[in-house]
Amino acid sequence: MNARQGGRLFDTVNMIILFLLVLLCLAPFVHIIAISLSSTRAINSGEVSLLPIGLNWNSYKQVITDMSMIKSLGFTVLLTVLFTVFCMTMSLAAAYPLSKMKLKGRKFVMFFIIITMFFSGGIIPEYILVRNLHILDSIWALVLPGLISPFYLIILITFIQNIPDSLEESAEIDGSSYFRSLFSLIIPLSMPVIATLSLFYAVGRWNGFQDTLMYITSPELYPLQLKLYQLVQNNMVSDLMQLEGANGTQLLQPESLKAASVIFATVPILLVYPWLQRYFVNGVMLGAVKG
Amino acid sequence: MNATRYIRRYWQLYALLVLPVLYFAIFKYGPMYGVIIAFKDFNFFQGINGSKWIGFDAFREVFAMRDFYKTLRNTLMLNLLDLIVSFPAPLFIAIMLYELRTAWFRKLSQTILYIPHFISWIIIGGIAYQVFGTQSGMLNNIITSFGFDAVPFLTNKSYWLITYLAIGVWQSAGWGTIIYLAALTGLNRELFEAAEVDGAGRMRRIWSITLPSLKPTIVTLLIINIGHMISIGFDRPYIIGNTTVREYSDVLSTFVYRVGLESGQYTLATVVGLFQAVVGLVFVLGSNYVSKKLADQSIL
Amino acid sequence: MVKKLNKHSMHKKTAGLLALTLAGTALLSACGNNNNNGGDTASATSSASAAPSGKAITLKVEVFDRGNAPDGMSITNNYLTKFVQDNFGTPNNIKVEFVPVPRSEEVNKLNVLMASGSDVPDIVFTYDSSTFFRYAQQGGLTDLSELLDQYGPNLKEFIGEDTLAYGVVEGTQYGVPARRTHLGKYSSFIRTDWLDKLGLGSPTTTDELYNVLKAFKEKDPGNTGGKVIPLGMTIAPAQYEPLIWSFIQPATEEELYTLTSGTRDLPILLPGFKDALQFMNKAYNEGLMSLDFGLDKDKTKLGQDVANGLVGFYSEDDMNPFYKDGSVDTLRANNPTAVLSAVDVYTNSEGKHAKPEYTPIGMYLMIPKASKNAEAAIKYLDWMASGDNLFQMQNGVEGENYTLEDGVPVTIADQSDEFRNRLYNQGDMAIISNGKSLGSADLNVEAYVKGMPEANQDETRKAMTISRSDTIKPIRFDRPIESQAKYGTTLQDKFEEMLVKTTMAKPDQFDSTYEAMLKDYMASGGQAVLEERQQAYAAMTK
Repeated sequence: MNARQGGRLFDTVNMIILFLLVLLCLAPFVHIIAISLSSTRAINSGEVSLLPIGLNWNSYKQVITDMSMIKSLGFTVLLTVLFTVFCMTMSLAAAYPLSKMKLKGRKFVMFFIIITMFFSGGIIPEYILVRNLHILDSIWALVLPGLISPFYLIILITFIQNIPDSLEESAEIDGSSYFRSLFSLIIPLSMPVIATLSLFYAVGRWNGFQDTLMYITSPELYPLQLKLYQLVQNNMVSDLMQLEGANGTQLLQPESLKAASVIFATVPILLVYPWLQRYFVNGVMLGAVKG
Repeated sequence: MNATRYIRRYWQLYALLVLPVLYFAIFKYGPMYGVIIAFKDFNFFQGINGSKWIGFDAFREVFAMRDFYKTLRNTLMLNLLDLIVSFPAPLFIAIMLYELRTAWFRKLSQTILYIPHFISWIIIGGIAYQVFGTQSGMLNNIITSFGFDAVPFLTNKSYWLITYLAIGVWQSAGWGTIIYLAALTGLNRELFEAAEVDGAGRMRRIWSITLPSLKPTIVTLLIINIGHMISIGFDRPYIIGNTTVREYSDVLSTFVYRVGLESGQYTLATVVGLFQAVVGLVFVLGSNYVSKKLADQSIL
Repeated sequence: MVKKLNKHSMHKKTAGLLALTLAGTALLSACGNNNNNGGDTASATSSASAAPSGKAITLKVEVFDRGNAPDGMSITNNYLTKFVQDNFGTPNNIKVEFVPVPRSEEVNKLNVLMASGSDVPDIVFTYDSSTFFRYAQQGGLTDLSELLDQYGPNLKEFIGEDTLAYGVVEGTQYGVPARRTHLGKYSSFIRTDWLDKLGLGSPTTTDELYNVLKAFKEKDPGNTGGKVIPLGMTIAPAQYEPLIWSFIQPATEEELYTLTSGTRDLPILLPGFKDALQFMNKAYNEGLMSLDFGLDKDKTKLGQDVANGLVGFYSEDDMNPFYKDGSVDTLRANNPTAVLSAVDVYTNSEGKHAKPEYTPIGMYLMIPKASKNAEAAIKYLDWMASGDNLFQMQNGVEGENYTLEDGVPVTIADQSDEFRNRLYNQGDMAIISNGKSLGSADLNVEAYVKGMPEANQDETRKAMTISRSDTIKPIRFDRPIESQAKYGTTLQDKFEEMLVKTTMAKPDQFDSTYEAMLKDYMASGGQAVLEERQQAYAAMTK
């Protein structure tokens, strides 16, 4: 009786706290939407908080009718999908063997990988490498250099290690090979973490633009975030702007257009997680054991 | 087991490793010769190989800079505070979400809580200014309307630390829950029902069933986090920080940006990077060793 | 014991593998270099005989990419790139190719391009003088003296001797600085409707200004409910530089050269600097400034406060408030009776409204040593400077983009998007000139004035006149100050910190704060810059 009452109190408090957190996380996003729909006057006066003032859709019209934005969206989706598929394939190929603690040479390979979490050659040799591979200014320059994140790899290994050995041993007795057991056992059982890491890789690629600044020169290969960065950043270099004198100031874009572009570039990737949530079903492991 | 038998048994596992190892060799170790910039007087036009060797001169120069020690201290301080505050936050939220019984609300809040992760720091910086400003920030408008004095959230260094941490938690906690939620899907709900029959309270259940099932994930994340104690992202301290609180907000990444990249001194930037790498490696190996002893878990 | 052994052998293995991969990459990069050298031989041979016949040369020209190309155009393919190709490229059998470099990463990207020795455009540029000096000193740039004499007579004439001198490093012409056409920087602005309401005259000296600011604070003529900010301030140069320079005592040339510091030549060691900080401190502690001025680096907040009618007086880049939908337009929309007028207030001990002006240069245009098309590159710049090419690039087509009024091209207000988009990147394409170039300073100003909304034109003209009067001429060393290139960013940061900390200090702590910050500044590179400047000045005047 007591426990049940306590449980109900717990549920209520829990729900209220989460609800407040949700509001807190939603507010800035609502603010950006409000800006994107407001008039320049209201924005320049700093009046807009959570509701649009001087409601208008001009900025969205401008974004949506800009063919380069639409093309960029298409390219970004292609890039993100390609990148994520490659990354997950490589990560799984690496994580499965490395999850076997008794595999000879495992420690060496792990050390070999962990070193790269800390040591890197820097931007110039990396650029030279990409150039020498002849992938400069191509989609591959944005895919290949970031194929495996050691951090995500370690997470994947941790999860695979958590799959009870008994499952695999029974499969082995069946005469199953490691390849077979990877595809028929490990991958199905790891779907939640695969979904999670896919999301991480996808979001990382979607939001990343630093490498595009270096490796990409063709406007057709600009991901959305690069366009967005240029749009937002134009304002931020005020020291430089002063040097540019009148050249720079005239180029300022209205804040509402920036906000609309932010929304345009963010909403697609935001929708990925709700879609992936289907892989977060409880008791996957249990089903496998029973089956 | 002799070698041929061993290989015949395990060749598939090694075959799987070939491409990943090649990837690291080409894309990570390939450019790594760049670290020798730290020992050279780097000239853009003679390239890395053509530049003059200077031994440890650049290290001496960096270690003689006052700002180096200040930024090193701040980096460790901010990271330590983050480890105490921001590291556990996603864990708490993940458990709270897991305990939610209303499925639609759980899914909805999961999705909304991770939105801040998608807002770029430039934009967050602008919003932070509007919310936390002393003169006309929203929060201070509320505080002063109750007759209290305005709080210098951004311009007093102690308050700034709190603001910095709060914004960090807000930005990353929801995103961080995802990994824990993935781990929790492996948890058998039947255990819960059994516990309920035993009359175990909610807290007790969380403590003895939920948390232990998350232990491997927590330990892994903790080891990696400790390995990164000495490195810090650029955007957050740079954008949330400001001139008035530079005593705390100036960190190694902003230091490198200032003395290294902006001034074209790639040698100095590489020196700091190398220093961070060595210390980071020692940290991660150290924490891995401790975790192996205490928790019988190791990433190596 | 066993573990130790294991670890040891592991290290050995790792080291071996490292060496192996390193060797591999060295090989790789060697290949790449060869490749790269081979790539351009075709154009190199043809450039020797750059006659309209034969194989076309490809001339690569850097262009800033701001990601703002209008629909249907791209940064490498638009009206102006076609204009250049049709009017310069094709007649000379040159294919002009534009290489986009992201605006915000220009120096970074340029560094990487230079260091990797590939794909470097034939014409590159930067606003950053340190980068220019570094490239010149590291031997990466082409000596332009003879090329200019031979192929660039129009260019030389357009840029002018004085400006060209800024491109000389240690006696060699390594760069062509673009010419800046409007040298005025700052004006100040005051709410004249507030003055009228209080029955006050427009202040003409700093002392009078102080009294006016006090009156704004006490009487709150804008009915802001106590939110009034009498003195608008930020940590952007446009707000603090006019104030600070007006406190500086008249100095000799030597003092101006040696006691200023940093890439902005800040008067940190000149007599009067401390007085300027003291004034800021007093204004802050008496509530005349925003509590958050130290946060406002990009002037966003200041702009909002001005637009909301909270600010009584501030300094700013001369024409900045007057753009369409800018501070003044928004202020007027919020409060139709508000009037913001340009005024010249801050006075120095000689009674002059001393303020800095721009150095007469824009970007440094450079030709990397690796370029095999230096001749064509100079020809391109010379073409731009000759005839009315520059005018056409900046202003477009008469009757479609502009009409001429008294020799000033006035932008046609209701032109179609097709016409308007032609010139979206003119500032970045017309690289030899920073700002509109019509032949005289007054005409240039008039061109800007005519580009403003009609209601703002008179005040714009006034502000742009103020910004050009009583200016302090910029200094120019005949050699780069190396410590300044090295510590430049650090010193700028330290300076801002000094400004903010001394201003926000309690009045009784002002002196100690100032001493501490100055010590920090000097120890972080200020001393090295001082000494190098003294040596450089002595060597220069010898």
